Amino acid sequence: MKAVAVPRTYRQKEIRRHLWLYAGMAPFLFIAVFPIYWMAITALKQEPDLYRINNIPFWFNMPPTLKNFDILFHQTNYGSWIVNTMTISAWVAVITLLTAVPAGYALARLRLPGAENIGIAIFLTYLVPGIILFLPLSRVVSLLGLQDSWWALVVVYPTFTIPFCTWLMMGFFKTVPMEMEEAARVDGCGQFGALIRIVLPVSLPGVLTSVIFAFTLSMQDFLYGLAFVSPGDQKPVPVGVPTELIRGDVFFWGSIMAAVLLVGLPVALLYNSFLDRFIQGITGGVGK
Amino acid sequence: MTSSVPSGGPDAASARAAAVSLGPQSRTRGWLSHPSSRRLAFGYMLLAPAALYVLLLVGVPFLFSLYLAVSDANVGEPLSRFIGLENFRAAWEMDTFWIALRNSVVFLVVAAIFKSVLGTSLAFLLLQNFKGKKLVRGLVVIPFTLPIAISVLSWKWMYDSQFSVINWSLSRLGLIGSYGSASWPIWLGQPHLALLACIGVNVWRSFPFTAIVLLAGFTSVPTEILDAARVDGCSFFQRFRHVVTPMIFPILIIGFLFDTVFTLSDLSVVYLLTAGGPGNATQILPVLAYQIGIQAGSLGRGAAIALTLVPLLFPALFLVLRNLKRRDW
Repeated sequence: MKAVAVPRTYRQKEIRRHLWLYAGMAPFLFIAVFPIYWMAITALKQEPDLYRINNIPFWFNMPPTLKNFDILFHQTNYGSWIVNTMTISAWVAVITLLTAVPAGYALARLRLPGAENIGIAIFLTYLVPGIILFLPLSRVVSLLGLQDSWWALVVVYPTFTIPFCTWLMMGFFKTVPMEMEEAARVDGCGQFGALIRIVLPVSLPGVLTSVIFAFTLSMQDFLYGLAFVSPGDQKPVPVGVPTELIRGDVFFWGSIMAAVLLVGLPVALLYNSFLDRFIQGITGGVGK
Repeated sequence: MTSSVPSGGPDAASARAAAVSLGPQSRTRGWLSHPSSRRLAFGYMLLAPAALYVLLLVGVPFLFSLYLAVSDANVGEPLSRFIGLENFRAAWEMDTFWIALRNSVVFLVVAAIFKSVLGTSLAFLLLQNFKGKKLVRGLVVIPFTLPIAISVLSWKWMYDSQFSVINWSLSRLGLIGSYGSASWPIWLGQPHLALLACIGVNVWRSFPFTAIVLLAGFTSVPTEILDAARVDGCSFFQRFRHVVTPMIFPILIIGFLFDTVFTLSDLSVVYLLTAGGPGNATQILPVLAYQIGIQAGSLGRGAAIALTLVPLLFPALFLVLRNLKRRDW
């Protein structure tokens, strides 16, 4: 009898433990996910359905509609903002790769005097907040004749992607065994050849991670976009939506939520899958 | 990495020091015997683009902002002249500046308290093993990974003065009256509530970050050490206090300081929710710097206000630096 009772109590204990854990987790899950749900349901509701205080707001009281998305793409600059955002991020990714990958390699592998301090100095610039730099940078932007164009953001965003990705790449390159490079050199590769043919291919996951961060970090910006780009068709999504879809005191909530959902969700999911790398990066445990 | 250094001490620090002082000449095999001048030239050539970019667009602008703060620079006027500490004096004579400074500090402290409590609770929950943990972990970090301007808009709609879903729920639960009654909160329109509402969004966004950083710290503690402590008769609390906490402290500091820098310098939450209002109830330094520097076009005074954040940020930067230096290379 006891032999039967023990596994059952163990099972019961497990179930009870799970119930407690789920109960503890539920509020966290709710506050994390509810805003997304709220975006989605608002985006799909008809205008009058949003503004009736006696309706239950959590579900549709009138048939769902795609009208809000239609308005976005046909009556606003939303299409341009998406194109702008993607183009800006792509350029930022290119600039970041061309600078951060070689720098990370040099700092991690070539035993330069002072490499440690240079690496830390570059990383620390990631911690200099935009709010201190945006006023002087506005002068730089107008000096380059880029005010009122999204090119200003292509120039400015690498100020935070380069430090972060250099640091990240340093970590990646340290994990590539020195012997591989030495073997390549014995086989007649030059220093540059060894980098291109051996180290880079092995570090491809790191390079890909850097690209993802160039994209996601660019989309986290609001200040620079707000301060440097004012023509309606030049803005990236996170700046265009709050500044252009609100006219005076009138909020087009249906369209606004449609706009933020469409961009926010993919970015959040992408960033989610690379979050551990981000945390490792900033806490210094890169590549462990 | 320093295994081939002949004279390294038992600890990593002295081995590293030895490796640095011995230099490349002590290496005898492989590509490191390559003439060092060529290797250095190659290295600095690879480093140059990133270093120059950061120097020109972070280093120089930072110094330039110091100059702006002591000049009468304006948007639209290319030339400016030196006016000493006039901008700081003008800022200090503004009531709004002191309100913004106070709000920034209140914001930081109150938000930090809530983030620590919520973040620690979440980290402990995520430390357990349970079914569906991966999915749960992916979902609870959504607030942190959503672009901030985007999630703030969602909150602005939830805080709507009339159609707030929060108020609707509270009202149906009987906790507040119906729309128009005195107990119907107007989240972004009442001074204390507005500041609380802004802090709430910051906490909502950042506590998953706190939790994930803590979790990274917890999981980096080797279980052997915990087991050893348990064998030696340490209670859960003792293990936590004397083993876990010291080991994860460096990670904790860095996560905390990142969050401090982000919270102090973030303008998007307050700017999009209230733009500093009602009155100046939610005015904070970043928003004030933007309003004066860009909207009013007074670059110099805006820079002076933004720079008052530096003394607040400086301890944070200093601690990060010390921590990174101790990192095992």
